[in-house]
Amino acid sequence: MAQSQPFALACQGGLNKVASQLELLRTPGEATRLQNFEVSTTGGYRRISGYSQFGDGTRPNSANPILGLKVYADGVIACSGTNIYFSQDGDSWLQINMASVAGGGDNYSTFTGRSAAARTSQGQADFTIFEGATDYGELIVTDKGTGVKPFYFKMTGTGSALSSRTYYAKEITVSGTEYPKFCVIHDKHLVVAGAGTSPNTIYYSGTSDIDDFTTSGSGSILLDDQVVGLRSFRNNLIIFCRNSLYKLENINNSSTITVTPITKNIGCLDGASIQEVGGQLLFLAPDGIRTVAGTARIGDVELGSLSRKIVPIFTDIAAGIDSYNISSAVIRKKSQYRLFYGGSGTATKVSQGVVGTLRINPEGGSRFEWAELLGIQASQGFTSGYDVDNVEKIYHGDYTGYVYNHDTGDQFNPAGTATNIDAEYESPDIDFGDLGTLKTLKYVKISISPEGTVQPSLRVRYDYEDTNIPQPGDYTLTSIPSPAIFGSGIFNTSVFGAAATPMTRQAVQGSGNTAKFRIFSDDQNGSYRINGLYINYEPSGRR
Amino acid sequence: MATTYLQLSNELLRESNEVVLTSANFSSAVGIQQHVKDCVNRAYHDIVSSEPRWSFLATGESGSTDPFYGNVYVETVAGTRWYELKAASSAVTTDYGAVNWDDFYLTTIGVSGASAPYVSRNLPFKILEDWKDFRREAENIDDADAQNWGQPNVIFRSTDGRKFGLSPIPKEIYRVWYFAWDLPTALSAHGDAIVFPDMYTTVLLARARYYMWQFKDNPQASAFALDDYKKGLRQMRSNLLNPIPKYMTDDRVRVA
Repeated sequence: MAQSQPFALACQGGLNKVASQLELLRTPGEATRLQNFEVSTTGGYRRISGYSQFGDGTRPNSANPILGLKVYADGVIACSGTNIYFSQDGDSWLQINMASVAGGGDNYSTFTGRSAAARTSQGQADFTIFEGATDYGELIVTDKGTGVKPFYFKMTGTGSALSSRTYYAKEITVSGTEYPKFCVIHDKHLVVAGAGTSPNTIYYSGTSDIDDFTTSGSGSILLDDQVVGLRSFRNNLIIFCRNSLYKLENINNSSTITVTPITKNIGCLDGASIQEVGGQLLFLAPDGIRTVAGTARIGDVELGSLSRKIVPIFTDIAAGIDSYNISSAVIRKKSQYRLFYGGSGTATKVSQGVVGTLRINPEGGSRFEWAELLGIQASQGFTSGYDVDNVEKIYHGDYTGYVYNHDTGDQFNPAGTATNIDAEYESPDIDFGDLGTLKTLKYVKISISPEGTVQPSLRVRYDYEDTNIPQPGDYTLTSIPSPAIFGSGIFNTSVFGAAATPMTRQAVQGSGNTAKFRIFSDDQNGSYRINGLYINYEPSGRR
Repeated sequence: MATTYLQLSNELLRESNEVVLTSANFSSAVGIQQHVKDCVNRAYHDIVSSEPRWSFLATGESGSTDPFYGNVYVETVAGTRWYELKAASSAVTTDYGAVNWDDFYLTTIGVSGASAPYVSRNLPFKILEDWKDFRREAENIDDADAQNWGQPNVIFRSTDGRKFGLSPIPKEIYRVWYFAWDLPTALSAHGDAIVFPDMYTTVLLARARYYMWQFKDNPQASAFALDDYKKGLRQMRSNLLNPIPKYMTDDRVRVA
């Protein structure tokens, strides 16, 4: 008599779009679909949180697209249309691109009474903050529109009311009518590059004089390649070019300052993809997400890519890079790198992104595990950072001018309309140790950690979805209540006695040589984490 | 309502934890579902072939034309010896599954234009060899020459089993009554119902289960199913074929 057999898998490894069917048999914890899930740093796959309108949904500049966001002071900076705005709460926006602001600063009423210094042809913005000794630091804004000079903004005063603060704003002249696209603060200098008239020249300001490119310590360097991004990384300035990478060393010593190639065989597709995560500098290369360190060490071979498992996604991005905008940010509390891509013509529902989580593997090393995002239009404005209270804030903006609190709540809220989160996790086809044996599945136990009352569905498919095999219908899992945990349980919401990580049992039907499992939800229920699956099956011969 | 093909198939599918069929996808079943459908039909045929004279296969209700016993009749033609048992059949695949050769009856009652005194007699069965050895030659000469023919008094079976012969060759129109059983019709559509009482579906399912577990390489479960089938079949025979009292007769005379 055939005995039922157990099989368990832990959800780990993230999305894998490149391994062959047979390779995936050895890694059943990976996913072949992982949409609107994120790899949890504590294990398993978590359905992502949603996003909500920032404040009451007031847009900074009506329907003009958001061109860039930056966490600053106790609020957020937003570029939209030909203006730049600041808001603490999203209910009202203060225009900050003012002209003729006094060198010693304007008070609120004077500042708001100034005429605007229009950011002509403003494109996707790039930001950098010189922390210095001021209350909130000094903000520099450049943009890809190549129509204006870098914009300088500073706000001082610690009162919560904007009317009690002092404002500084001006345009910075780099060199004549150079309109650089990219900016970064590096070792007491403002470094800019990418001007349309000199795309392969970097300019650096005077030492500790970020708004002056003529004083001591300033200069410029001509490169072989067009600059697409800048980033300060430890003692070096990394210069990302279209087909090469350089590092600039000793910026404070004019006699030893040098620019050294890191590689001349691979470049960066978009400077907005550059982020520092886990001590590594990540950027979007034609073959995926790479680290500067890895590229310097290994070169242009594909081994340097951190995103080998989802390379088809990046192949598509690389193919459409001319029509895509790219944005990225790091969610530090989750060790996550998120990148969004798309254009103004991409509807919110089909807007895409990827999320990589830096996880510690069982051997003690770290690796990125990936998932896909769908339904978040954030490809032109996405930022994260610590505010003045050292609280991590994450925002994104869309092409209709709205700004959102990112990664919060249980629903998407494009333009204030609550929308379902369409989430799917699908395991690889699993052979349960022997591809040749027919198995009749009895039941599946799913380890789920609910964060609210959740009710995802389960789909089982046999033999690589062979149409000659009877495939069962979808199973709607029993509603899983939110557990009452001391200290966090909510009266009248959490269920006393409910397990924190229940094993939900679902009887299933069908047989095949392999089986795969999809757990999916398209609702506004709470998030949940899928920790793993236990499958009970019965070997049923080798026919 | 008798159990349908769909219900039988789904019972087996549920038992083996497979995806059940619906009336919508029944005809397009694939894989294990189609195999289970095949198992049900195979089991059905096994039951039928084990005893072709199951009451539920009778061609018609016996005695429907009172007072005659038999459920079909053939009317003879003067001068014709051989008659197909099932006149409408074109091949052995559509013939009767069985006939009772020991219960043929010849009569003119009911024949159009016939009047009293009627012919009414049993037609005993004679093996072909006897007819061939003792009657054929004379009857054939008569048929070719004087054509007197006669009133049949025996029947015999053609070697291919498709016809019965009468001897002598009939000289007029008679009705030959006999009892026949149909061949089983394989279940096909989802709504096709089994022809026997629901209480015996367990026998059919046991047999189908036997095949299904063989497919799933589970010989032990298959053996259990076979045992169930054998017991069930015995019970079916007992209930449906042998429900009457049995008598034994002896014509010996005691000699003092």
